[in-house]
Amino acid sequence: MDEAKVGVFIADCGGQISKILDFEALINFVKNIQGVTLVERRSEFWRGQGLQTIVDAVKSNKINRVVVAEGTPKISEIAIAKAVEEAGLNPHLVEVLDLKDHCAWPHRDTPKEATEKAKAMLLAAVEKAKLLEPIEKAEFPAVKSVLVIGGGIAGMQAAEDLAEMGFQVHLVEKEPFLGGLAAKAGRFFPTDDCAICIQSPTADLKTVAHTSRKCVYRSGFSEIPNLNILANSKVVKVEGVPGNYKVVVERKPRYVNEKKCVSCDLCTSVCPVEVPDEYNAKLKTRKAIFVNTPLVYPPVYVIDEKACKFYDCAKCVEVCPTKAVELYQKPEQLTLNVGSIIVATGFREYDPSVIKEYHYGEYPDVITHLELARMIDAFGPTNGVIVKPSDKKPAKRIVFVQCVGSRDRRWNPYCSSICCMISLKHATLIKSAYPDTDITICYIDIRTTGREHEYYYERAREMGIKFVKGRPSEILQDPATNTLVVEVEDELLRRLLELEADLVVLATAMVPSEDAKELAEILGIELDQDGFFKEYNAKLRPTETKLRGIFLCGGATFPKDAPTTSLHAHSAAVKAAKFLTQGKIIKDLKVAVVNEDYCGDCEFCPVTCPYGAISLVPKENGHFVARISELLCEGCGVCVGTCPVGAIELRHLRPNQIAAQMKALLSVNGTSKPLILAISCSECGHAAVDSSGMAMMSYPANVRVLKVPCTGIVQVQHILEAFKAGAQGVMIVGCKPDGCHYEAGSQKAQKKVELAKMLLNAYGIEPDRLEMFNLVYIEGDKFAEAARMMTERVEKLGQIQLA
Amino acid sequence: MAEERQEKVTTVEFYKEITSKLGGETITFCYQCGTCASSCPVAKITDRFNPRQVIRLALLGQREEVLTNGAIWLCSSCYNCQERCPQKVEIADVIYALRNIAISEGNIPNIYAEFANALLSEGRIVPISKFLEKKRADYGLPPLKPAGIESLKKILSATGFDKIMPKKGESP
Repeated sequence: MDEAKVGVFIADCGGQISKILDFEALINFVKNIQGVTLVERRSEFWRGQGLQTIVDAVKSNKINRVVVAEGTPKISEIAIAKAVEEAGLNPHLVEVLDLKDHCAWPHRDTPKEATEKAKAMLLAAVEKAKLLEPIEKAEFPAVKSVLVIGGGIAGMQAAEDLAEMGFQVHLVEKEPFLGGLAAKAGRFFPTDDCAICIQSPTADLKTVAHTSRKCVYRSGFSEIPNLNILANSKVVKVEGVPGNYKVVVERKPRYVNEKKCVSCDLCTSVCPVEVPDEYNAKLKTRKAIFVNTPLVYPPVYVIDEKACKFYDCAKCVEVCPTKAVELYQKPEQLTLNVGSIIVATGFREYDPSVIKEYHYGEYPDVITHLELARMIDAFGPTNGVIVKPSDKKPAKRIVFVQCVGSRDRRWNPYCSSICCMISLKHATLIKSAYPDTDITICYIDIRTTGREHEYYYERAREMGIKFVKGRPSEILQDPATNTLVVEVEDELLRRLLELEADLVVLATAMVPSEDAKELAEILGIELDQDGFFKEYNAKLRPTETKLRGIFLCGGATFPKDAPTTSLHAHSAAVKAAKFLTQGKIIKDLKVAVVNEDYCGDCEFCPVTCPYGAISLVPKENGHFVARISELLCEGCGVCVGTCPVGAIELRHLRPNQIAAQMKALLSVNGTSKPLILAISCSECGHAAVDSSGMAMMSYPANVRVLKVPCTGIVQVQHILEAFKAGAQGVMIVGCKPDGCHYEAGSQKAQKKVELAKMLLNAYGIEPDRLEMFNLVYIEGDKFAEAARMMTERVEKLGQIQLA
Repeated sequence: MAEERQEKVTTVEFYKEITSKLGGETITFCYQCGTCASSCPVAKITDRFNPRQVIRLALLGQREEVLTNGAIWLCSSCYNCQERCPQKVEIADVIYALRNIAISEGNIPNIYAEFANALLSEGRIVPISKFLEKKRADYGLPPLKPAGIESLKKILSATGFDKIMPKKGESP
């Protein structure tokens, strides 16, 4: 590496900053710093002529490090790095600081003190710049192929989007038929038309692809180029990294050849085995060889392994005209190479039999909404007639019970969000078909928050559907007549009611799919406290996970209605496409590196890394060392803060850079107040410092800010070093404990602060000299207040006296 | 609209007073679903007690009304509501907490005061009477021994029970 020749470019923002800071003094100061070969002053340096000045200096080889003091560092940093790179210098040899928001404006009442602080800031930037190292780019493969897990409406829509964008898509569905919950639900709000339609694929040549929607079975879904549908299949293993996964899928035998079956139904007519039809809520029976409905997709029969007598019978084999029945089929495993994975495993109805007072599973006429949906469906087991399952007679008095197992701290504390609408939909559908049905909905709160949803509630009231505000305490059955009695308090009348009913429908909670936990383990992603897949950020990254290559959509993250599921599916598809579209992942290697000479055998960093980027690999004699994946590492430094022996460093912020900045920031005081070092993260913490300056909130100039990627990098040693370097007080400024941009960095910093306080106490230094603050951008006032408070506190404590 | 609107005093922090008492911690979980009311055997036979309403009034800060209208003393402690409450409000225990607050302010129905005083003076809630002795003899049960009144008094004194109870003859 050549000797560092630092060019320092100081912007005065059209004289705004030089009105406060003594620029002549600053420039003279900087000129005398060792290693500085060029100092320039202009109004601004991040665009136009100013930027050209930097480019020219780089091109002429006068400088090989760039320090820029700018007013808007976040924007200017990007523009300057890009220009510097084009001029032939590594963009990571640039250091940008903000003399306006971090110095001139907050300290405008004390210009002399501000100038002294500016000197310290410039010195720190130059000292850091001298130690910066070039960071190269690396390329990783991104296979343009996507695995979609789950063949409900979410998975189908995401798969279709991606296949039509040209990606190879593998759609894996655990059931023998696609459709998920939609296939059973019959009709969806808010349109009340069939649940099982999807967006129109362009593969359909006969109609305009931009029609609003298409039945799945008529959509030509299977004919979409690049789409590989794997029904009756399950993901059993995933290896590799984002962009390049090896996925093992196990295909259960269907016992019917998909390419030969012509759906003639002869097999079912000869099959002697009858079993309860689970798809139809056991309201009828089906054969051991079956399809759910004539309109299923794929339109291929399947044999129920548990029911079929196989070679003891084999009547279907004999009768099949195309020899499609293949009883000899065995499970097979196939390996797929994909660049990213979309989880679309949906949700399911909660089994309400745990709620003993409702007697589900015990009284046949207590059913769930999905079971009711099968009755409402004209293709269903009752051909659209609503009956009492106990005697198959029409049900004329129906009571709906809301919030069964949801909003219930005993089972599922959350609101399942769609059950109110499902009840309103089913009640109005039944009432339209059979106006003489007496329908009562017992509710705690009716929640109709979506577009057009309140109209369902209006319509239901207009149709004479009754609403009782009150959650039933028990459902009883008259043993003589089988009539059900629902005990409920009408809270508005303050009267206890006993509602007689032929049929009671439980609006049960919607819970994660059974395999969610297993799949989360296979994929290495997290579930939330309710067991749903956890998104990276609930507000801004609803379909992404912490792992770059894995995306989520639909009910896998929370119960959703169809419109939200569609939105989610398209979003996940776009995110996956954006990730893979270049066929490669290019990233700057701003990553952590391990010094293997120091590293050994502890398991702190692999556990602490928020991105699962660290693994332990064997060394000689049974020892292990940490290995950091350059692809997965996001460069936050949480591992650095965790490593007990200092074996991990960030390439973009080496320990000597931190030490040099610390020393420089505390080298010049120039105020009458004790020096305080604020170590801030580069996310919310730094934003709070920015915004306090931008809004011209004042705090004293003795407070100096040192930026690190995440406060998770802070070691107890850093804090002690700050005191050693002359700080009389130390502030750690990070994100909110639950809002850290790298998961738990600020929580870890908090623990370090607590530990450091104990150590300080042992050294005879008042622990009050150290404090952690959790701030966000809109809390600039709180940063200024914290800076003032710490100054006052440390002033009262006086100079540190070591025993 | 001749009817005069009744002004009621609201104690804004009543819920905090309740949650700080043993058994009262869960009162704020309540979302007024009414499961307790329709589970309650007492509410089935009288309008004077409705557990949902007791909690509602308490959460609205109607301290005076909750502590004096007598409803809290009608709970039979069957715990049916507590078993079924979807928000895990410990309803029967909340009612105990409310009773404790009421007693500490001298709000106790006569019948309970009599029980308490019997306990203090005789060591039993139900005093031994000739009638009882005879009944026991009829059932073949041995005669009751006198209660260990001295040690009981020590316990009642240590717990402060004797101080919160109105003395005999005092009107609560």
